[in-house]
Formats: sequence, C-alpha cells, structure tokens
Amino acid sequence: MLSIVIENMGLLCSRNKHYNEADNEENAQTAEIERRIEQETKAEKHIQKLLLLGAGESGKSTIFKQIKLLFQTGFDEAELQSYISVIHANVYQTIKILYDGSKELAQNNRETYEISSENKEIGEKLSKIGGRLDYPRLTKELAQDIETLWKDAAIQETYARGNELQVPDCANYFMENLQRLADANYIPTKEDVLYARVRTTGVVEIQFSPVGENKKSGEVYRLFDVGGQRNERRKWIHLFEGVTAVIFCAAVSEYDQTLFEDESKNRMMETKELFDWVLKQPCFEKTSFMLFLNKFDIFEKKVLNVPLNVCEWFKDYQPVSTGKQEIEHAYEFVKKKFEELYFQSTTPDRVDRVFKIYRTTALDQKLVKKTFKLVDETLRRRNLFEAGLL
Amino acid sequence: MASCAVDGGCASDYIAIAISAVCFILLLSRLILPFAIHKIPLPKRSSFWIPVIQIFASFNLLLSIVMSVNFLKFEKRHWWQSCYAWAVWIEAPLGFGLLLSCRISQAFQLYYIFVKRCLPPIRSYIFLPLILLPWIAGAALMHIKKPLNYRCHMGTQWIIPVVSLHAIYVAILVGFTGAVRHIEFRFDELRDLWQGILVSASSIGVWVAAYILNEIHDDISWLQVVSRFALLVTASILVLSFFSISSSQPLLSQISLRKREPLAFETMGQALGIPNSGLLLPREPAPVIDPNEPLDKLLMNKRFRQSFMSFADSCLAGESVHFYEEVHELGKIPVDDPVRRIYMARHIIDKYITAGATMEVNISHRSRQAILTTSNLAQPNLFNDALNELIQLMKMNLANDYWSSTYFMKFKDEASLRSHELQQMTSWNSPTPRLSSVRGVDDPFHQEQEP
Repeated sequence: MLSIVIENMGLLCSRNKHYNEADNEENAQTAEIERRIEQETKAEKHIQKLLLLGAGESGKSTIFKQIKLLFQTGFDEAELQSYISVIHANVYQTIKILYDGSKELAQNNRETYEISSENKEIGEKLSKIGGRLDYPRLTKELAQDIETLWKDAAIQETYARGNELQVPDCANYFMENLQRLADANYIPTKEDVLYARVRTTGVVEIQFSPVGENKKSGEVYRLFDVGGQRNERRKWIHLFEGVTAVIFCAAVSEYDQTLFEDESKNRMMETKELFDWVLKQPCFEKTSFMLFLNKFDIFEKKVLNVPLNVCEWFKDYQPVSTGKQEIEHAYEFVKKKFEELYFQSTTPDRVDRVFKIYRTTALDQKLVKKTFKLVDETLRRRNLFEAGLL
Repeated sequence: MASCAVDGGCASDYIAIAISAVCFILLLSRLILPFAIHKIPLPKRSSFWIPVIQIFASFNLLLSIVMSVNFLKFEKRHWWQSCYAWAVWIEAPLGFGLLLSCRISQAFQLYYIFVKRCLPPIRSYIFLPLILLPWIAGAALMHIKKPLNYRCHMGTQWIIPVVSLHAIYVAILVGFTGAVRHIEFRFDELRDLWQGILVSASSIGVWVAAYILNEIHDDISWLQVVSRFALLVTASILVLSFFSISSSQPLLSQISLRKREPLAFETMGQALGIPNSGLLLPREPAPVIDPNEPLDKLLMNKRFRQSFMSFADSCLAGESVHFYEEVHELGKIPVDDPVRRIYMARHIIDKYITAGATMEVNISHRSRQAILTTSNLAQPNLFNDALNELIQLMKMNLANDYWSSTYFMKFKDEASLRSHELQQMTSWNSPTPRLSSVRGVDDPFHQEQEP
C-alpha cells in the first residue's frame, strides 16, 4: 500500500506538463493557463512553504495558534468569543470521559474507582450532557457540579490513569479554572485559547513574516496546519510539493498513551513510523526538517513517575538518577532515538538537507517565539547557501 | 475406439475440451467485462479476490479433469504429469474444494449480514483457508496412501469418502442459501442464487454419476468415453453457472451486468430508491439561514448542506459532510425495512468507517469499534455516536470559516435572489484562514492509506 502512495507522490512531484496537442484552441488556452501559473509562481517564489506535520494531538495546531499570535494580529474579540463554545465543550467532554471511565474501572476495582453515592447523580447528569450534540452554556451551577465531581476521589484516581482514556491534555487546566469559565461575561484569554483542544480536520493555512512590518528583511512564510489522525494523513500529500521546511511535531510525553483512532497502537510508535515515512517522501529530497520534541512540560512531570521504557521503542532505557538530572537524561535519550531514526531513514543522496531538533512546549509563548527565530535564521542561512552566497 | 478409450484422444474428447474452453472464456469475460465496459473501479479486498480465486479454481478443476482422465493422448513420462498432482491436489483442494469454499464463504457473509444482522465475525481471508482444510487433509491422506492405479482411478472404498466430501460441501452451500431465502433482496440476488443452485445441483448430479462410473468401471471402454465426456462438459457448465450466482456484493455484480439499465445510480441512496436522494430539484425554495442556529439543524436543509459540503471539500475535510448526508439518507429508510437499511449501513461502513476506507472519517476508536461489532446492522442509532463526534468536529473546525467563505456568500446571494429578502449578516469579517492555494489531484480521497 505504501508503495502506491509513494508512486503517486513521485508523479505529483515530478509532474511533467504533457499536454494534448490535438486541438489548437485548447492549445491557446493551455498556453494562457501556463503563463498565468508561471506568473503566480514567480510572485510566490519568495514565499517559503512550511508544513506542520505529526501524529494526532502532537501540538501542530497549538504551534499554529502561537504563530498567529506572534506574527499576525492575534485573536480579535469575535474570534476569542468563538472559542467559548469550544472550551465549554472541552469541559463537558472531559468530565464525561472521566465519569464513564471511572464506571468502567469500578467494575474491576470497586474500592478505588467507585464514585461516592451523592456524586453519582451529578455524574449521570453530566455524562448525559456530554453525550449531547448541543452543549448548554456553562452556568455557575453546572460549574459547581463539575467541580464537585472532579474533586471526587474516584474521579481523581481515574484521572491518574488518563493515559488509558483519551483524556485531553487541557483537562487539568480547565478544571482548575471552572469558576472563571462559567462567568456570564467570560471572554477566553490567550492562554485559554492555546489550551483549547480542537481536533483539526482538513487543511488550514496562514501567511506571515517573522519580522513584521519591515517586510524587506524578513522572509515571507506560508504555514499549513493539518489533521494528524490516520484518515487525515492521506490528505497531506496534496501539500507536499515545493516545501521549504517540514516542522514535524512529536509529543514526547505520549510514550505511554495510545492513539485516538486506534487504541491498540502506542502513540510514540506511531510517531516513529510516521516520521520515517515522511522522511522517505520523494518530495522532501531537499526539504529542511525541524523536529519539535513537543509537550516537554508534561514530559518532565511524567517521566519521573512513568518509566520511559514502557514504550517499546525505548525499552533499552535505564534510568540513572533522580530529579532534574533524570529528566535531562531521559530527554537526551529520546532525542538520540529520533536522531538515529533520522539518519537511518535518510538516504545518502539527501544528506545535505537541514535537520534540527528543538525542545518545545507549544503552550509557552516565549519559547515558541525563540524557537521560531532559530528556525527562521536556519532557513535564511540555508537560502543564502543555496544562492551561493555563503 | 478401444484404443482411444484407454489412451485418450477420441473425437468426443476433443469436442468436450472445446466446450470447456468456450465455457472458460465466457467465464473470464463475465469477470472482466463489467470493469472493461462500465469502467468500474476495482473493488478491494475480499470482493475482488473471491471472484478471482473462483476463476482460478474453475480453471484448475477443468484442467485437472483434462489431464487426469485421459482426454489427450500422450505418454506419462514427466513427474508433473503424475496422477497425484492432477487428480488429487489440483482437482480437489485447488479446484472443486476451493470453488465451493469461495461460494460458501460468500453465502456465509450473506447469512451473517442479513440473518444475524451483524458483520461476519471472521474475515474471509481467514474463513476461506479454514474451510479448505478438510480438502487439504484429504489430499494429503491420498498422497500418502497412494490408492490410484496407473490410469488415475481409485477403488470403490475410496470413491465413497471422496464423493461424500464433495456432497457435504454442496449441502453446506445449499444450507446457507436456504437460511437466507426468506430475505427479500434488493438486487435479485436470491432469484439468481436459486437459479444457480438449480443448475449446479443438476449438473453436480450428472457429474457425480459420471465420476463414479468413470472411476469404477475402467474396463468398459464405451462407458469410459461417454462418462468422461459427460464429466468435462458438466464440469464446464457447472463452473460457468456457479460464477453467475450473485455474490454478496450486489451493486457491482448485478447492476453492472444488467445492460438495460447501465449504472443509472450515482449513490447508494438512489440505488435503494430512497426518496429525494441525489441532486437538487431547481424548484425547491432556498431557505433563509441563520448562522446562530446549531449546525446539525442547518445541515438538515439540503441546499445548505450542498453549499457547506463544497466548502468542506475545498478544505479537504469533506468526508464528514458526505458521511452526514448518507446517514441522513439511511434515516429515511423505514425501520420495518431492515434489508434496505442493512444495505445502506454496509455501504456506509465500507465507505467511511473501516480503517483505510476510501473516505474514512475522523472518529474515535470506541465509536468505530462499536459500529464494527454491532449486533444489529439495522438498528436506527447505529451511527449516532460517530455522527455526534463528527458534527462536533465540523462545528469546531469548519463552521466559523464557512460563514466568512465565498461559499456562504454565494449561498446567501442565491437565497436572496430567490426570496427577495437580503439577510444582514453579523460582522464576520475576519479573513478566512482556510487554504487558498492548494492544488492537488482532483479526487482528494483516491490515495491509499499510509502507515
């Protein structure tokens, strides 16, 4: 199956313009179209095309939102308001997942996961709301109910096993801010918007220039964000032509989680296979690769409790110490694995493409800004090099 | 006469070979013509492989009869002309056994889907080898015991188990077909099924008689010639009629073969006769759309749905809307018509739900598993969970961008032209972040699934 995709991709990338010369009129039209395409390509030549790729929930859209905040006008009031329903939906879905999950877990272990009888009624009500299509606006009373349930010991125990339940990363953040979210005049903050979880489908793009007003000195980038689940990936190849750089997001914290679309597959293993597949694309012969080892904030909390070697790819990992040193050690190990994978999957004729690894937390605005400056610098240097100036 | 009865090469033998060749060519053309004439895309997995395996088995069966029953006059010198290769291995596990196993696995699928109303518990690529096992075991046993004489014939004590193995498989097939007979199929499968069974059963009768006579009485030369003629001719007819029995994929094999109504249906909904399916009628009034209404209500409106669908397609996110539409059509089939519901449900599962489907939708593992392991394909809320997830997905991803897209502008213009009332929109003037310059191949879903 893979070979078919690759074959098609090859066709796409080296698409030669074979036109049927049977009809004169058609020829004139074709020439006109070709001229226009050429014009457009000339105009767009200086625009650098960047792709955000990676498996589902690896943080692509969060990076995308950050870029919008950093280098564009940011979010206006209307846009912020449109996130209210998203955030409320996140809250309802989270509490439903946790309640249903605890019920399931209680079947084997009543003591730990059985919800206290007074909270059961609340749970049933909230679970019903969470299964509905149109969620009600979060009122103070509902927020109070959710908070009560969230604080239930059984729900907290269930949350501790969130890696088995597809609980979104934003769960804790929104649960701690419930009262604010339930305010009648609530307007999401920048941070709320960054935390909000939306599963992307299809393709979204923005155009931006990191330097802002002074356009001449900065490169113009066009950044594409895509969905990461398996069914979404088949759409990626439509973007693979003429890409300057791929920003590949890999959530390092997900080594003990399974895929949203296939719960029999470890997320890290999927990311490994996906990265390998992307690296081998014929279109990316000269494309730079920026690997974002993302969600470091969750990673540093998790790695001390959950050993890295629960993931098959890291099963030869041996912890050396404790605390900060251990986090660094674990991170370096993961980084080395990705590095090895890159060099294994890169054929000798492609060794001159750029490959950089960055440690990121997509929620951290300063860090993303810094990282993006580095990316921009690397790409500009690369362009000068290509032009023979360096 | 006497010599050709023993060595092969009588006039009747050549006639029989000619008939079988014609039958086989007809058989091949029945497989290939629908694809060649109507340009149907090749089906995937079992619906493609089972017919191909059937052709292969039919060919093996005919050839093994020709080779093992002395039709042609040549001396047996080479190892590949051995009786055990042709009369045992190629005739049974690779010929008759494989052919019947294919049919049984199709009948088994039909039985599960329409009688048990759930997807078959075993995939056909596992089921097929499984029911082929007795044949392989039998062939191996014969290979070890070596009961055949120099003319590839076996004694009476072997004939009985061999014929009964053949008969058991025919009985199993008849049994499964009998179990589904009370179901009123949409595409005349059952009529074809019974026609096929009738022809095959009668030719199997003749075939078995000829087989037994040929095997036992190898001293009466006229009987040898006549019985092997009958053997090959009925086998050819059997093979041909067998293939024409409808398979479990009615849309492909049935609609495409009926030349009087060549592929009149664009959607499964139309094929099933769901009212108001397919294209819009121009006289339908355009509604006034209020963006503040929930998306699931708005999508009930066909004209809005079309506009929203073309927008979603342009963002490479159209599969959710297409899925919505087909589930909507499924909802129009009355609950007391389970057969049509099952057809539609299966169509939706094949197109949107199974991993790697052509227009696979972005749903959770749980929803997908719940659908695939359902105990009743006809139940009305089979796709509810998946649909809810997808409506949420569309709401969060597409809705806002749609209101500011040219698709909505166009839709609004059309609506105002029709109803002469321009609707003032609230300020949705943020530039759409959806893609403007993606140029891909025409069909965004024609790619196979990658890792």
